[in-house]
Order: sequence, then C-alpha cells, then structure tokens
Amino acid sequence: MRNIDFVGKRRIFIAISAVLVLAFVIISFTKGFDVGVEYSGGTELTFSINEKMSSSEIRDNLAKVKPDYVSAKIVELKSPAEKQDRHFYQVVVKDSLPTTEEKETFIGSLQTAFDGKDLQKEGLNDVSGAAAVELKSFAWYAVILVIISLLLYITLRFKFAFAAGAILALTHDILITLGCYSLFNIEMNAAALASLLTLAGYGLNDTVVIFDRIKENSKKYRGMPIDQIVNKSMNEMFTRTIITALTTFIVVFTMLVWGGKAIAPFAFGMTIGTAVSAYSTIYIASAVVIAVGKKKKA
Amino acid sequence: MKPKTLRLIFTLVILIVAVIPLIFSDRSEPKYMGLQKVLPNVKLGLDIQGGSLLEYSLKVEGTNLKPQEVIDNVVYVLRKRLDAAGYNEATVAKVVSGGEIRVRVEIPGILDTTQAEKLVGSRGKLYFAEVVDTTVSDIKPELSRNRFITVNGQEVGIYEYVQDMNDKLSWYRVKKVFEFGKEPFEVNGSDIIDARASINTQKGGFLVNLRFSSEGAKKFELATGNLVNKRLAIVLDDKVIIAPNVNSRISGGEAVIENIQTIEEAQNSAALIKSGNMPVDLVKFQENTLGPTLGKDIVETVVFAGLLGCGIVLVIIVLLYGWTGIVADIALIYNIVLIIGYMALTKSILTLPGIAGVILAFGTGIDGNVIINERIKEELRLGRPVLTAVGKAFDVSFWAIFDANITSIISCIVLYYFSTGTIRGFAITTIIGLIGSMFTNLVVSRLMLESSYKLINVKKYYKGNVPEVKEAK
Repeated sequence: MRNIDFVGKRRIFIAISAVLVLAFVIISFTKGFDVGVEYSGGTELTFSINEKMSSSEIRDNLAKVKPDYVSAKIVELKSPAEKQDRHFYQVVVKDSLPTTEEKETFIGSLQTAFDGKDLQKEGLNDVSGAAAVELKSFAWYAVILVIISLLLYITLRFKFAFAAGAILALTHDILITLGCYSLFNIEMNAAALASLLTLAGYGLNDTVVIFDRIKENSKKYRGMPIDQIVNKSMNEMFTRTIITALTTFIVVFTMLVWGGKAIAPFAFGMTIGTAVSAYSTIYIASAVVIAVGKKKKA
Repeated sequence: MKPKTLRLIFTLVILIVAVIPLIFSDRSEPKYMGLQKVLPNVKLGLDIQGGSLLEYSLKVEGTNLKPQEVIDNVVYVLRKRLDAAGYNEATVAKVVSGGEIRVRVEIPGILDTTQAEKLVGSRGKLYFAEVVDTTVSDIKPELSRNRFITVNGQEVGIYEYVQDMNDKLSWYRVKKVFEFGKEPFEVNGSDIIDARASINTQKGGFLVNLRFSSEGAKKFELATGNLVNKRLAIVLDDKVIIAPNVNSRISGGEAVIENIQTIEEAQNSAALIKSGNMPVDLVKFQENTLGPTLGKDIVETVVFAGLLGCGIVLVIIVLLYGWTGIVADIALIYNIVLIIGYMALTKSILTLPGIAGVILAFGTGIDGNVIINERIKEELRLGRPVLTAVGKAFDVSFWAIFDANITSIISCIVLYYFSTGTIRGFAITTIIGLIGSMFTNLVVSRLMLESSYKLINVKKYYKGNVPEVKEAK
C-alpha cells in the first residue's frame, strides 16, 4: 500500500504556509483590492458605441463630462453575439447618482461627449455610500457567525483539535485566495464573495472527510500515536483528495477560461481555492490536529 | 419492507416530484429567450436575465413616522402603482438588513428605468377637483384661458384638462383650487388616510369609503358644502380615477362614493386613491440594471462553460472507475435535475451566485461518489465479496459524507439569515444542492450499485493487491 510521509515534514509545510499567508496578507494590505462597485459605492455604467475606441480616448471623453472622471476605471467587454457590430465598455465613477435626473444628465452628457458614436446604455449599477458600508459590514458579521457555528459542530462531532484544524485550514485558504485577488487585480464583487463562501464550504467538506477517516482509524488502531494514525488516514484518502480536487478544478478552470467576464471573479477564486484547499487539507488541517491533540495529552 | 425497495421508492418519488415542475410549465407562452425557454419554470435573477433592481431607503427624518409602521403601506402603494402602469412582472418587497428597513423593486426585462423610477420616486400627486365640464377628444384639449393664484406659497393655474383613467377619449376640465372660505385651498393625497371598497348593503352596488385626516375633513366639508349636486373628480397623476356626484355636505371626515357597478371597480378605485398616498419620501439606496442583451450573453457563456467543465469531469470519472463511474455520473445528473426541479417547485430564484452553489453541490457530489468508490476498492482489496464491499463502503462512508455536507449546510443557513439578495440566492441553492447531493450519494448511488454489482470489475482489485492486504494487517 502507498505510504507517503505526510506528517513527518509538517513543521516545514506549516512554516511555508505561514510565510505564504503572511506574504499574501501584506500584499492585500499594501496593494489593496480592485473593489467592485457594490463595495466601493459609485456608479458602474455599461454602454455600447458604434466604433472601437482606446481606453485613453474614452478617458478623455469622460473627463469632458467631469474632470474627476479622469480616474474612472474603464474595462472593454467582449461584444455579445447578437451585437457584434457594437463595442461594449464598462466605466466606474465614484459618484453615486441617486436621482433619475442626475442619472439622465450623466448619460446625456456622455452622449454629448461621445458625439456621433451613438452611445447607448446597456446596464447600470448605482450603489450609494450607505449601501457600500452596509454590504461591507455584513460580510464580517456573517463570517464570524459562520466560524462560531462550525467550531461548535466539529467540536461536537469530533474534538476541539479537529475544529481548530479545520478553521485554521479554512482561514489559510481564504487568506491566500484573497491575496491572489489583490495580486492579480481581480475585481472583488458579490461574485467574488460567493466564491470565497463556496470555497469555505468546499474546503470544509474536503477536510471533514479526512477527519472522519482519522476518527475511524483512531478507534480501529487504539494505542497508535496520533501522528501515525493521521498519516495512515491521509494515505488512505490520498487518491480521493486528489481526484476530487482535480475534477472540481477542471470545472472551475473551464469556467474561468470560457465563462466570460461576469463569472470570472467567481471562477478565479474557485480555481486558486481548490488548489490551495487540496494542499491545506493534506498538510495544514491534519498538522494542526496533531499539534493541538498532542498538547492536550501532555 | 426491504431497505432496497425503500430506496427505490424514495429515488423514484423524489425524482418525479422534481421533474413535474420542469415539464409542466405554468406560463402559457415563453417570454424570455435562452435558458428561460429550456427551463420555463425556473425563475432567473435579474443578474442573469436582465432587468432592473431598485432599492430605496425610507426617509423618515423630520417626520414622527417609524419605518416599520409605514413600510407595508409603502410596499402596497408601489405595488399598485406598478400594476397600474403595466409592470405586472415587477416584484416589490420589504428588505430588512442591518437594522434598516428598505423597499426593493425588481422589474425583469427592462433597461430604461426612467418611467419606473418616476413611478416609484414620486410621492404621487392625488387631488380632488371640481368638474367644470367634460369633452370628448383624442388629444388633450387646450385651455382657452386660465387663472393663476397663490396657494401655500406656490403659484398654480386653477384650471386643467385631465384625462379619464379608463376612457382615453374622455377629458374633464377641472378646477383644482377651491375658493371657499377665507383662503383658497387644495384637497390632496396628504389629506386622505384611508380608502376601502365595500358592499352597499342598503341600496345595492358597491362603495368606496374614504377617511380624511382632521385637517382634510375640515377642508372636505367646506368644499362639499359648496359643491352639492356638482361632480368632484379624484385625480391621480393627471388621470381621473372616479368623478362622483356630491349629494350633500360631508362632515366628520368620512365620505362614501356610491353607485359603483362592480366590486373590481370599487377595489381598483380604492387602491388607486390609496396609492396616491405615499407616506414618506424614498431615497435611492442602490440600483442594479442589466440590459437583456448583456444578460442573455452572460447566461449563454456561463452555461456553455459550466456544461463543458461538467462534461469533461463526467468522462474522467467513467475512465477512472468504469461501471461505478457510470453510476456516479448518473447520480450527479440526477442531483442536478433535483436542484433545478426543486428550485422550480419552491419558486426560488436562480442568480449568478446561485449557479456557484450548483457548482459547489456538483463538486461535493463528485466527492461523495469518489469517497464511496475508493472505499469499495479498499474493501475489495481486503478480499470481501462485491455486494458486501459495496454495502460496507456505503455504511462506513455515511458519516463522512453526512458530516462534510452538514458543516457546509450550517454555514449556508447562517448566510441565509444574515444576507439579502444575491448571496441569499447562493445560500438557498447550495442548501438544496447539498441535501440533494447527500441523498443521491447515499440512497440513489447505493440503489444503483447494489442492483448492478455484477458489472463491477473486481478482478483488478482481488489479484495484485491481496498480498499487500496481509502486509497492512
């Protein structure tokens, strides 16, 4: 039977992970995120014009409307199949335009600025400052509650050591994935948040299954030291962990490549996350179980 | 009953319940393209099908109203206004989030929100006016002359032509300002507290009962006292809802409109009168509008990529596991049908994050199947007979699969209660998906594998691995 020593070098892997997490946290804080309009507040307008324009030309036209708009975020979109003759762009400005009049003025003056280009509105997101604040504060609230309820359930079903391992592995996955959003300038929006949540669910699933095997083996091989039991369980579950990670990876990676811009922030997090989560299930969660488990016995 | 028979019954019943809402559409004609055509009973979120979401805060500062007192009225008023303007597909809902109460309007399929926003944003201009005369015309008649006076600091023309709400050809020349008593005055929406339809028990027909505020009652008494045997029009946004005759002076703040032919007309008039009475100003909190073209494009790309990815995975599983892989694939497809079927059944809305939930369920579904298949292999390597190996694998894997799914379900329940909108869509699809995935893994797969265990290629595991089993022991 396969016998890879997963736990022997656990201190090295924990050290590597600690460095990685720290690095990604530093990146997240110093570089910041490309925050989607739902968390930053402001207006995101999607429009189409009848001529291809460069970002700087669009920027110049925006500045004609209001000098502040020079700093607007501009993204070129792929034209949908049924409107191949038109060119689609998305611009984000910091102003929220709460009244109908303000919005009409905004679009009207853009149409004037893009004279002769037949500018048409294709979509608009407007998020007031209050909405952005609330959405942000909600996220933390929910995360803390989720963590508490998970700690309770896993402690109840397994042991506290397992709960600690699962939560640390989860935090590890989320922090690294978040760091990647920052590093690669991927937009943090509702879809990205959904991806982090999915990841939390997926990573837990991944980890808890291994825990279950550890529990089963602890009963079967009484007296065997915890690190040996963990290592045995990891080996038994290795094929499963790899196949599951690989198949899920294929689904989300396909979505990242062919799924279009709307799903990209979601698919990106999932692609990074499934890889990180497979690693943390093997090396982090179980290492914490051993560490906390040993301390309790001592 | 044998466990196997029980599993068969459950598998079939649950499948049938999921498939029925998918086959029998309750929509007579499909209105939307793409995904909606294939799955007419699954409600799609605005982030997929296109449309506009408008969310408003209630501005209660400076009034002594509390949001929880007026929110039901606000929802009611908006609902009536949108219905009257033909936005029948629109939904209006109260949103409670972070201790704040707001109102959310969702209108599928629209890109130009100007008219809808005007309907929602206005306080509603409802007023009572004396009918001077009526004419029939297909265009708005010109006023030959008008007189302007100052009421409450604003200069207004006292005459106006307004159209009948139901009969587009019928125009009323009305006098909006009442010049009785010391000062000229108007009677408008803020003077009305309530309007209700009821049955006229004495004379037959139907009634609308109006109730006025104390100040409104005084003005109304003065107006009706001077307009006996004349017609009084109730006008909402320049359309006449109803123009009854004044029979007598009305005091006490309660008025009745008689001689309405149908209950529908009475109810409709009451609703419109009430809808003119938005109790607070609404301030836009957020807007999310997606044109149908972009929406359609998003759906098609996402569904294509999703199907492609899932297709590849289904093939890989068959290559890896042979017959048990085919069973796993059937189980995965069964689960997807379950998710979509139960979303249609419970009228849940499929949003983009909801699709994420389906993918998560697909992922954990794969995992469940892999866990079981790997376990069967292990048991076979220990030299157990096939059917025993299969049974044991399911028994032992039960808790692993249960715990793994329950932990995720717990997180989603927390999310469901503490979120709104799209994330809530994610939570609900994930919960349905995970329960479905657990069921297919533990019941459907087991049924299929136990019925077809003879097709499992066991030689591969018995042969080369038996000696290693001894080593392991």
